[in-house]
Amino acid sequence: MKKAIASGNFLRSKLFWAIVAELLILLVGFILRPDFLSIQLRTLSDGTTVLFGTPVDILNRASEITIIAMGMTLVIALGGTDISVGALVAVSGAIALKFLRWDVLVYNTPGDYTVQPFYLVILLPLLACTLMGLFNGALIGKLKIQPIIATLILMVGGRGIAQIVTDGKQFTTQYTPFKFIGNGSILGLPLPIIITLVVVLGVMLFVRRTSFGMFVESVGINPNASRVSGLKSGTIILIAYVLTGFLSGISGLIYASRISSNDSNNAGLGYEMDAILAVVIGGTSMTGGKFSLTGTVVGSLIIRTITTLVLYFGVVSEAIMAFKALIIAVVIVLQSEPVRNAISRRRDRIRTQMGGEARA
Amino acid sequence: MPDIHSRTLGHRERLRALLTNPRYLMVYATIGIFLLIYLFGALLYGSKGFTSVRTFMLFFSDNAYIGISAVGMTLVLITGGIDLSVAAVASLTGMIIAYGTTVLGLHPLVCILIALLAGVGLGALMGACIQYLNVPPFITTLTGMFFARGVTSLISRESISIKHSMIDALAGFKIYLTWPNAQGEWVKIKPVASIDLNTIAFLVVIVIGAIILQRTRFGRNVYAIGGNEQSASLMGLPVARTKVLVYSFNGLCSVLAGIAYVLYVKSGWNLSLQGAELDVISACVIGGVMLSGGVGYMFGTLFGVLLKATIPAIITFNGAMNSWWAKIFTSVLLLLFIMIQRAVIASSQRTRRK
Amino acid sequence: MSDIILEMRGMEISFPGVKALDQVDFTLRRGEVHALLGENGAGKSTLIKVLTGVHRPDAGTMLLSGQPIRPGSTQEAQKMGISTVYQEVNLCHNLTVAENIFIGRQPMKRGRIDWKTINRRARELMLRMGMDIDVTQPLSAYSIAIQQMASIARAVDINAQVLILDEPTSSLDDNEVVNLFAVMRELKAQGLGIIFITHFLDQVFAVSDRLTVLRNGRLVGEYEAGAISKLELVTNMVGKDMNVIYNLQKAPRPDEAPVVLEASGIGIPGKVEDISLNIRKGELLGFAGLLGSGRTETAEMLFGVVPVHQGSISIGEEPLSLRAPLDAIRRGMAFCPEDRKRDGIIGDLSIRENIALAVQATRGFMHPLPQKEQQELAQRFIKLLSIATPDADKKVGELSGGNQQKVILARWMATNPDLLILDEPTRGIDIGAKAEIQRLMLEMCKEGRSVIFISSELDEIIRCANRIIVMRDLAKAAEVDGDTCTQADILAIIANEGEGEEAAV
Repeated sequence: MKKAIASGNFLRSKLFWAIVAELLILLVGFILRPDFLSIQLRTLSDGTTVLFGTPVDILNRASEITIIAMGMTLVIALGGTDISVGALVAVSGAIALKFLRWDVLVYNTPGDYTVQPFYLVILLPLLACTLMGLFNGALIGKLKIQPIIATLILMVGGRGIAQIVTDGKQFTTQYTPFKFIGNGSILGLPLPIIITLVVVLGVMLFVRRTSFGMFVESVGINPNASRVSGLKSGTIILIAYVLTGFLSGISGLIYASRISSNDSNNAGLGYEMDAILAVVIGGTSMTGGKFSLTGTVVGSLIIRTITTLVLYFGVVSEAIMAFKALIIAVVIVLQSEPVRNAISRRRDRIRTQMGGEARA
Repeated sequence: MPDIHSRTLGHRERLRALLTNPRYLMVYATIGIFLLIYLFGALLYGSKGFTSVRTFMLFFSDNAYIGISAVGMTLVLITGGIDLSVAAVASLTGMIIAYGTTVLGLHPLVCILIALLAGVGLGALMGACIQYLNVPPFITTLTGMFFARGVTSLISRESISIKHSMIDALAGFKIYLTWPNAQGEWVKIKPVASIDLNTIAFLVVIVIGAIILQRTRFGRNVYAIGGNEQSASLMGLPVARTKVLVYSFNGLCSVLAGIAYVLYVKSGWNLSLQGAELDVISACVIGGVMLSGGVGYMFGTLFGVLLKATIPAIITFNGAMNSWWAKIFTSVLLLLFIMIQRAVIASSQRTRRK
Repeated sequence: MSDIILEMRGMEISFPGVKALDQVDFTLRRGEVHALLGENGAGKSTLIKVLTGVHRPDAGTMLLSGQPIRPGSTQEAQKMGISTVYQEVNLCHNLTVAENIFIGRQPMKRGRIDWKTINRRARELMLRMGMDIDVTQPLSAYSIAIQQMASIARAVDINAQVLILDEPTSSLDDNEVVNLFAVMRELKAQGLGIIFITHFLDQVFAVSDRLTVLRNGRLVGEYEAGAISKLELVTNMVGKDMNVIYNLQKAPRPDEAPVVLEASGIGIPGKVEDISLNIRKGELLGFAGLLGSGRTETAEMLFGVVPVHQGSISIGEEPLSLRAPLDAIRRGMAFCPEDRKRDGIIGDLSIRENIALAVQATRGFMHPLPQKEQQELAQRFIKLLSIATPDADKKVGELSGGNQQKVILARWMATNPDLLILDEPTRGIDIGAKAEIQRLMLEMCKEGRSVIFISSELDEIIRCANRIIVMRDLAKAAEVDGDTCTQADILAIIANEGEGEEAAV
């Protein structure tokens, strides 16, 4: 890293600009409202202590997108996209609530949840989402169907599946272990943040401690040469989509737990867009190749920070999209090839001019 | 589809050539499956009125806004691009008209003009961004979608109903279908069926789209770019101008779709048409337009829209099934058509002639 | 007006590290077919790219019909009347043949495209070229030969004065070639100047009036087609790297050693036919022949890059079925491809990752080489092959061609292969790197590995190989002894002058 900074590559990298953008947005927040960056430890009525403050809230609320974006990073590094993740979030919540409210759904007698043991409520949604990821991966990796269109199938069909699972009904649950996933905290840290940390570290370890990351980049950069070197690109692509499906499942559980309910129409709505943007802002190119999981985390935080900042100043939540679009447009234009080339050319020219003067 | 066969061919040969042309295979598949599903609906619910002219006309008027947008989308997809902003721009159009007429008291035509400027301007901007900054279409138009949605919400978060004599007149415009009864007098057919303005607009835009694609240099350049952008550029075709124009034209279609939607629901709402861009894209895909670019016909898109319309219709006639089955069936259809496309490509590669 | 249509004088252009064209002159007359010859890297394609406005020359003048020109893009060159037809036809496959000929300049009627006229005129144009086809079918429905004709028809109809045919015959069969030549003669009679680039020498003599030979970016000479023999021509084209000072000791021919790999009658219809060969442990088998003679295709079949349609391959006693390169790698094979950029390097990855890639592929990603071992591996090969780099974490894309080649070689040596296939490993790299790679090959043979070495340079093949297979026209022409044969023998076989056929094995 130090070497990279010294050589000036880091200054030219997209990750650097993403971090600068995030800091600028935070700074704007701080200037407008000095308490924007404050963090406090508060004690709740039930005696637990929880961290409070906007930064904590940003991290907390960024969880769903960050988790999905980890998988999306690999998918995009392979030159693909997965637009079904939002629908998978809805499926995950629907299946969880189905088993939580087995009472209403199957026995038609409202009571508390009836499916035991509890871990099934967690495992079954994850399994379902993993299988849907497998479906995507098989179409793209094995049948070589264009990623956008292959995942369009589940994007359209997924919400239908979610509604069929719960018979089109919306349930709420008061079951505390389930509500704990999205609302609880451990040692003052909200659980979604902890889950996100575990996922981010897990994916980073998987990708960098095995050779999976190298294979992904290799296939993304040069599929021909990768094949000649003995890589099985189909399998690698398949795994990336399976992983993304699984992570969408986790994200879906957090979302469902937060609202203690399933919402087949709105759960995960637009997540695919946010996740893809997080990846791209984080410096991974849509055309595939080198990827940066750290960059993706920063990208996801940028998106969430903008949202929080705009909400903070009383703008209606739906209008956030306009601000998000403006800031993202600036970031994307700055990162676009022609602009970056122009900037670095200009800087080189200035440098040579200065060099010339020094010599003179 | 235009006649592109030489005059020397007789009608019979010409028809045979048209039917066996592999280029139209995907369109035939769409029409064939449309007929199959229609037949299926007719057998099951014919007695309930599924086969009535009224039901058939509703396929058009209920889906006019999807169809109009699909015309622009077809062009974008043929160039090998994609535009996710269409539904958001249509929703913005609805909001501009609603807010303008109801809250500001502007004339609807003024509002429509503003919407046109906004929609076409955004389209041109996105096209320029894609062409000159090399930002992928997916990302560019996604940002455009966020922007349009956000601006819509900034205008208002309420659903605003529109009360204006002109809008009412346009929305109420109907040509009732009639036929001669036993006495030779022209009477309305039963159940009453009519052609409304949206249906006419839908068909007119489809025809205009077909003429652009088949009969103008611009349209042919669209195909060439989708077939091989590099070759198109080497052949001296105006690639950059064409691409920017395509996205601008799609912006125009989105605004027209928005107007059609306003006439359909007579209100503007910031959350209207959520996810409708996917309906538009899947209608095109089902109509045989390939996302990889270079392949697609307006005629196919027309049937793609109709085919997508039959599914919810059948579910409504069934009565017992829930509406979300429509999503499942649509996605199954999508899968089916992707498989057909693959099979067609594979077979056309095998039967390369010397 | 003189009969000289195009004149290029003193053309020079440099790319980082290479002088691609050095004082090259070229003249094209009205109504002639002028063949441009030379092995890869000779500067043919650079010269064409300068002419068509892809590259800007550093020096030199170009005159078209006596007027100085300086095209800035292919489109500009086209407008001046210089059209190119490439081997991989630059048309749109999704459009009809007729439309490809007329797109961008369609005749209009009442503001709309007049399809009837387009189809009629396209049909006439194609008929004039002896192609009686349905021009309303998409281009993709037709063979490359017809696609090329459509491309030529477009160029001629746009009013080309200079027509460049870049390797037009590589994927045509005999009849198609005859037809193309007929069209070329017809166009010539109409007064066009045609620049014809090909690797097939028979075709050069069949259709050309004059020839220009380039080598290493320099002009070797311009000849009347009747005034030079095929043998002279081949001698002029093929490089001699006499600058190598290293003294290489060839390993003795291992006639007693077991056969490592045997292929019998393998082929892909239309690409290469009926290749049989075997290689023994510790042997260095050379593949000679001009580019496009089927050398690369054979290597790709042996390694599972392209599927084998006919014949069989066996390793030791066992038959080998190859679905993907990984199958070959697992059986102890390795392959340095000819096209380094496309099939070799992973440009954005580091040297270390590029070297470890093939080893890692055989282990699967769940059993990664520890970072430390990767580093050691990379360091070992950087030292062994003297790869010029400050450290192993530099991107391979930033290295010079020779060093990139060494990295790919290292990737395969790291897998400890029994059989190494090297396709043009020394092309486009400097003399020093070349000699090192030759030395390495011989060392590997001494260690008991087998090497298949493909090269356009006869000197280096003869210097290294125990046995040489000579390829010509997509088939095996002969097999000669590497210790006793001379360059003249091989040249004679490539030029097809009879006596090579029965050469001793």
